[in-house]
Amino acid sequence: MGQIDSMPEALIRFRDVSKTYPIAGVPFTALGGVTLDIAAGEFVVVVGESGSGKSTLLALLAGIDRPSQGEVHVGDVALHAISERELSAWRGRSIGIVFQFFQLLPTLTACENVMLPMDFCGTYAARERRPRALALLDRLGVADQANKLPSRLSGGQQQRVAVARALANNPAVLLADEPTGNLDSKTSQSLLELLASLSNEGHTIVMVTHDRAAMQFASRTIALADGRVVSGAEGLHA
Amino acid sequence: MPDARWRKVLRDVWEHKARTLLVILAMMVGLAGAGTILDAWALVQRATEEGYLSSDPVAATLRTDIVDSALLATVRTVPGVRDAQARRTVIARALVGGAWRAAWLFTADDLAGRRIGKLRGEAGAWPPPAGAFVIERSSVSYAGTGVGDSVTLNFGAGELRSIPVAGIARDVSLAPGWMEHVVYGFATPATLASLGVNATLTDVVLVVDEAHPSQASVRRIAFAVKAAIEATGHPVHDVDVPVPGEHIHAAQMNSLLYTQGAFGLLALVVCGFLVVNLMAAMLAGQVREIGVMKTLGASGGQLAAMYLALAAGLGLVASLGAIPVAAVAGRAYAGVKADLLNFDVTGYAIPAWVILLQVLVGMAVPVIAAALPVRQAARMSVASALRDVGISPDGRDTGEPWLARRGGVSRAILFSVRNAFRRRQRMALTLLAIATGGAVYLGARNLRVAVRGSLDLVFASQQYDVSLRLATPQTPDSTESIVRGVAGVQGAEGWGAARANAPHADSTVGNIFSIAAPPLGSRLFVATPTAGRWLVASDTNALVVTRSLQLQEPSLQVGTTVDLTIGGRTGPWEVVGLIDGGPAPTAWTTRDVLARRTGNARISSVMVATGPGGLATQVDLIQRARSALDAAGMPVGSSQLLSENRRVMEDHLLMVVDFLGVMAWVMITVGGMGLASTMGLAVLERTREIGVLRAIGANHGAILTMIEVEGLVVALLGWLVALPLSIPMSVALGEAFGRVMFRVPLILVPEASGVWRWLVVVVAVSVVACAWPALRATRGTIARALAYE
Repeated sequence: MGQIDSMPEALIRFRDVSKTYPIAGVPFTALGGVTLDIAAGEFVVVVGESGSGKSTLLALLAGIDRPSQGEVHVGDVALHAISERELSAWRGRSIGIVFQFFQLLPTLTACENVMLPMDFCGTYAARERRPRALALLDRLGVADQANKLPSRLSGGQQQRVAVARALANNPAVLLADEPTGNLDSKTSQSLLELLASLSNEGHTIVMVTHDRAAMQFASRTIALADGRVVSGAEGLHA
Repeated sequence: MPDARWRKVLRDVWEHKARTLLVILAMMVGLAGAGTILDAWALVQRATEEGYLSSDPVAATLRTDIVDSALLATVRTVPGVRDAQARRTVIARALVGGAWRAAWLFTADDLAGRRIGKLRGEAGAWPPPAGAFVIERSSVSYAGTGVGDSVTLNFGAGELRSIPVAGIARDVSLAPGWMEHVVYGFATPATLASLGVNATLTDVVLVVDEAHPSQASVRRIAFAVKAAIEATGHPVHDVDVPVPGEHIHAAQMNSLLYTQGAFGLLALVVCGFLVVNLMAAMLAGQVREIGVMKTLGASGGQLAAMYLALAAGLGLVASLGAIPVAAVAGRAYAGVKADLLNFDVTGYAIPAWVILLQVLVGMAVPVIAAALPVRQAARMSVASALRDVGISPDGRDTGEPWLARRGGVSRAILFSVRNAFRRRQRMALTLLAIATGGAVYLGARNLRVAVRGSLDLVFASQQYDVSLRLATPQTPDSTESIVRGVAGVQGAEGWGAARANAPHADSTVGNIFSIAAPPLGSRLFVATPTAGRWLVASDTNALVVTRSLQLQEPSLQVGTTVDLTIGGRTGPWEVVGLIDGGPAPTAWTTRDVLARRTGNARISSVMVATGPGGLATQVDLIQRARSALDAAGMPVGSSQLLSENRRVMEDHLLMVVDFLGVMAWVMITVGGMGLASTMGLAVLERTREIGVLRAIGANHGAILTMIEVEGLVVALLGWLVALPLSIPMSVALGEAFGRVMFRVPLILVPEASGVWRWLVVVVAVSVVACAWPALRATRGTIARALAYE
């Protein structure tokens, strides 16, 4: 699984991380001096009010944004220090992301959406990609939707396809940004169970959510307020 | 099966098939325009090699008193000469459609066996039989005759002769007769002699050993031949060395093709604008998708490759569509060009490299055009891509508060104007595409005006209506007196003439040019020099030169004294002035000065002012003047109407202008398609907004008007921008025309009627271009429009 094989004590390490955005010319601190560790295999839920810094934390963890200050390490990779090109390659192989609005590419079928990360990263031989995508979709219960465009799928089905896509390159870390935000309660429950089972299989999961029900599936809950960790910073190995 | 990413590329194209198709069509138009020029050029080049050069064209012509086989044998021994033959050209007049036209009859001992400048019989008899003549193919339509008909010829002093046309032949070295307004024909020396014409062969034509000689090297050989001929006791009156291997019209045709090719490339650049718009719009709508793909591991390079491949694919499809169109148009155009060069396009297969070049250019243009927007998108950070709010407007100032402050402007119009400014880069590129077409359109119209103005200027100095060329030189006073006595003649002047050439530093001499010599203070030739001055009474060796002569002989600068050879005598002449005298290289001096310098006070022609009256009056006057001079023992060799001269020149010049103007229409078409594409994108992007408008009560008419007005705003701005843009375009076209034909004055203010015509064109283009996007805006249910994302 994944490319983060030689883990130190914690798989994910934030050290005094701050992120400041200019808003209307005035600097706004979305995240201030956050230090936390997440061990491999943890299912961490990050909660907090809107504007608390949850999504910023996730973006820094995914390497889609860079800290204004501090260090972010995932395995032995220092995300704050590597180039955009290196980040891109690392991200495709090491991180799977599930978005609130699914973000499936509308002109590709469910199966093709799942194959896309493999195409970009070349992690599997070309002939293996479709069978693997179908297997993932099957595992997530949407194999019968494989050849449909996203617009023909329900929200729950789309989110399952999005999870399958996130797993395409067998990443060590799965990040989920409000994955249940657009789903009904029954579908949400099913998705959370699925994430929990993935965690049990060894995937490290970090999920940002408003959904209090998600906490019962998590091994740890980190609470953020005004850009700072107010609880749960100490993990299994911290 | 291709990667999922390439399937995404293909499906994105299919998703936006209408606007993609429009961009492909626009590119096809641009590529077809440029391809037509390239194909025509390639075909004409090959026809030149296979048609013209295979005729073994004349390298040099020397005129002497008589050419016999002994003289030819002497010429052939001169080093560098590969072959030499004798011929003669007889100048006559032919009765065409009731009017007398110039006729050139070529004769030689064995016309069918002519090795230099080979002739080919195309219909009827060949070679010309005794008592008949064979007409050159390019003169057939002009002469209005054919095999089996007869043509009435007048050889000057002799009586009129009706001669049967026995056949049609082709001489590829001649400028087309229909274009030059000359009837060309071929007859044996015996036939001409039987008509009372001196048919002695006087011209030596030769070809050289060297395969691709320079003009200078041929000139050196020609002057060695001249020396050899003179050593045998024969005088050499002049030596003519054309540009080797180049048809008489080739330089003009090549320049024209290059100029049109440049505009073809400009059309491709304009196509590039449309690709930028398409790609920018597509990328703007896919920013989030790009962000998502980056989170899935796509590198900037992979994303750039996807979109650039898409651009290249569009170019490939456009090329494949344009190539057959260009081939058909290029063949037709090559046929026209070949007709102007008086030879056939021998093969219609377009060379493979030309096709390949079109494909490569077709693919390269959109890739280059898309490079910047694709680079920007590929380099966008994932965070900002995922934060993108989509394709909704940025709410910037639309720049038209002045309009809002004015009363009486409806809200709908204001809305349309603001909409036009919402995507400024896209609007700017569309506007530029339209304006470029307009600038070429206005530039071509300016050029037309400039050419007409130039002709007016050239002919303004010529205050006579008819020129009578005397068969033999006469004294001025008696000749003028006889012509002035003819009823209807308002003025007559006898003009002297001479043929001159300028010795060059390499001991050769330049090509022959004419010196015209009106009397001092002539009222029938009143020139305004553009540099220096006109001729005055105190002049003893003054010369005014035309700009065309100065181009031929650059040493003839105003203020310099140069040696000229006239009638075998070389002496100094002072160049005192420069005039724009049309394309013929000519120098001017006074009759008295020429008489003193040559020792010959006789005149060779009489210029006649006829005053008011139509063509029939002038033709009648010519007949009476000829009769009067004939009766006085001063036969007229030929006569020419000034109006006819002008018509011939206009035919030559305006045809070139029209060819340049064609490119303007190509570019306007591309611009129109650009506008259609832009408006299509605008309607697509604002589907939801249009749904809202419809939901709050806007009917179809209002929506249609809104879209049409928005397009019209862009089109009118294009109209406006084209006006200043037409100034450099006019300069460029004027320069190009100057290289092709002759220098014309620059017109920096767009011609008024052209400006209004351009307005009509641009409004029509806008209405047509916006029709489909406007109709699309009214289609579909409001609910669907509101749900559009």
